Amino acid sequence: MSADVELSDVSVTFGSFYAAKNVNVKVNGGEFFSFLGPSGCGKTTLLRAISGFQEPSEGKVLIDNKDMSGIGPNKRPTALIFQNLALFPLMSVSENIAFSLEVRGVSKEERKKRADELLELIALEGQGDKKVHQLSGGQKQRVAIARALAVEPKVLLLDEPLSALDLKLRQRMRTELREIQKRVNITFIYITHDQGEALTMSDRIAVMNEGELEQIGKCDEVYNNPLTPFVATFVGENNPLYGKVTGIEGDKAKIETADGQYLATMNESKKLNIGDESIAFVRPESLFIPRDGDNFDNKIDVNIESFEFEGNLKNFYASLKSGAKIKFSVPNAIDTSSITSGSSIVLGFESSKSVILPKASLAID
Amino acid sequence: MGIYIFIFFAYLFGPLIIMSITAFNSAEFPSITPWECFSFRWFNEGKIAYDGQHLAGLLSDWRLHDGIISSLIIGAGVVTLSVPIGMAAAIVLTQVRSQLRDIYYSISIMPVLFPGVIIGISTVVLWDRIAGLGGEGFIADIGRNGIFLTILAQTCFISTYCFLIFVARLQRFDQTQEEAALDLGASQTQVFFKILVPYLSPAIASAAVIAFLFSFENYNTTVFSILSDQTLTTVIASKVRLGISPALSALALTIIALTIIAAVTYEVLRRRAEKRYAESQEKFVKEKAADNRINEKYKAGFRIPKGITAILLIVVFATYGATQIVKNDLYGQSCIDAADKEKKSKFLEQLQTLESNELTDEELSGGSLGGNQDYGDIFGDPSLFQDFGGFD
Ligand SMILES: Nc1ncnc2c1ncn2[C@@H]1O[C@H](COP(=O)(O)OP(=O)(O)OP(=O)(O)O)[C@@H](O)[C@H]1O
Ligand SMILES: [Mg+2]
Repeated sequence: MSADVELSDVSVTFGSFYAAKNVNVKVNGGEFFSFLGPSGCGKTTLLRAISGFQEPSEGKVLIDNKDMSGIGPNKRPTALIFQNLALFPLMSVSENIAFSLEVRGVSKEERKKRADELLELIALEGQGDKKVHQLSGGQKQRVAIARALAVEPKVLLLDEPLSALDLKLRQRMRTELREIQKRVNITFIYITHDQGEALTMSDRIAVMNEGELEQIGKCDEVYNNPLTPFVATFVGENNPLYGKVTGIEGDKAKIETADGQYLATMNESKKLNIGDESIAFVRPESLFIPRDGDNFDNKIDVNIESFEFEGNLKNFYASLKSGAKIKFSVPNAIDTSSITSGSSIVLGFESSKSVILPKASLAID
Repeated sequence: MGIYIFIFFAYLFGPLIIMSITAFNSAEFPSITPWECFSFRWFNEGKIAYDGQHLAGLLSDWRLHDGIISSLIIGAGVVTLSVPIGMAAAIVLTQVRSQLRDIYYSISIMPVLFPGVIIGISTVVLWDRIAGLGGEGFIADIGRNGIFLTILAQTCFISTYCFLIFVARLQRFDQTQEEAALDLGASQTQVFFKILVPYLSPAIASAAVIAFLFSFENYNTTVFSILSDQTLTTVIASKVRLGISPALSALALTIIALTIIAAVTYEVLRRRAEKRYAESQEKFVKEKAADNRINEKYKAGFRIPKGITAILLIVVFATYGATQIVKNDLYGQSCIDAADKEKKSKFLEQLQTLESNELTDEELSGGSLGGNQDYGDIFGDPSLFQDFGGFD
């Protein structure tokens, strides 16, 4: 059983401070939906509004089309996995998992049966008698998930549950989470500040900044067609090229920068006019070193400054004539021995791979 | 370094040890020298003095027994009142926000800063008024009941100590646990009994023990609020005022022994639990970890406890004392009889000298001996020792 979750014009204020402002979003039943945003942007606040720990100052939370105002967290069909997990340290793993059944007066045998089932689901069979502190980080993680699932919630809310784990474990848990979600088939609302996490797991993501939603969409949509400079730079990496619009051809716009003219694609909902201050974005992986026969819409002269080896990629940091910095990545398989710091080269990129947006502030990270 | 520690401990425990030893001396006044006889009589019936007067021992002193019983009742009452009060106050503190919090905290701890005397007197004054209002009913009875008033008066400040214990523990409480329980469907009551109380249980235990000890040893509040009843402390105080008896040493030694036994039992139980826990942990690690991560040579070895020198020292002194006593035949009934006989004869001698020196009434009041009237009265009154109420 899964349920839709709808936030309709939800604002949460602390004093005069908007922790979340006019948030409108509809999460479909059975969806894996992520809220992505930098630290302090109001993600936890939104989640607490959904789970009932925080009444919105304005607007409504609807679960299954029912208004949730005035309904406490213990009466909502949601389960929350806390940022710090909040497992009960004095109880065993099984007792933790069966807690929600215990408080509902379910009999002991029934509880044990259900706990064993859930232990199997999270691949911890036979470890129910352990105390919480005898588990590793990833195991605790899974116990927290099982504990939340024991109530058979319609919506599972997860607050950055993987942030404390090491990289390998985090990657494994991502797949596991996704699998669990498919198996139990309920709505997952996931919070993270890690864009990689959001992109790999989610059906859709909402990007948040300063308490407001900047964009909602499918992962590739958000990545390829960011709506704002903030989204463009927060989700993945992007090189900004500042300038003024000098011409428009269909869905493309020409931008005049201090280092030359480039052609970039406009977003349908963010049309530009000649003379507008704007920013063209090009991702490091969309910048190529032209080979014979390549013909890119845009060319750009750069001076290599430094180089960084990342394993699968090699990253180059270069500067333009105006002093602006730019980063580009080359797959490790391509030979780049001729490019050293100090050398000047020409890079190319396709206008279809570059977006142009009205000028606004970027995500600084 | 060692010598400093020794001096420090001697300073701490010296008086207690000396007092404990005097409990075994059969003499009427607690003393080590002169040593009369080794005996347990101050733990039992005490003695009938050579002049026929009864000096009570620990077992035969009914005032002491009554005092202990009311002290125990009061202690139990104080524990049942101040632990919940302290806990509730501490929980409220976690709910109060910002500036109010400081004010609330200051007010809550104020009772420990009041002199106990004032708490005692004010309780009596208040309840005297209340008792005066209600006529002759239940309220009046209760308002003039010393034990009831003492429980209330002591709870006033003892609940504050409990409060502080609970605050310390609650400060480390992760409140998201409460939220997690709520989120999983628990009601507020269930959160309290299933999450908060288990977490607080060590604090509940220590608060109860401390509340009881504070209540048991309290004097300055109790002495006012107890009215016509007596607790152990007030009994002892009134005894000391009339001169100390080795029965008090015996009492002190008994209390010390009980405390030590309780502490040792607790420590043994704790260590056992710890060991069991370590074993389960060890088993868990062995099960779980890859073979190459187990250190086969690791053994939880036996270590000599550090207090061994102190224990040895005590044993040496005790043996020395015991051999001295045995060598000089300073123990058993025969010794006591001999000592009593000797004292009786001396006493008679003194009485005779006194009688021969007896002063006339005129001399007594007439001031040739100045301010010695009181002394004159003491020695002049033949029934003095029969009226001497301190040890009966
Ligand atoms: N109880 C509160 N009282 C006042 N301000 C609060 C309260 N809770 C949160 N805030 C503020 O609201 C903003 C959003 O907080 P929130 O916890 O939602 O951030 P977040 O997006 O979850 O960040 P993170 O990724 O670091 O967890 C922050 O600026 C925070 O200081
Ligand atoms: Mg957060």
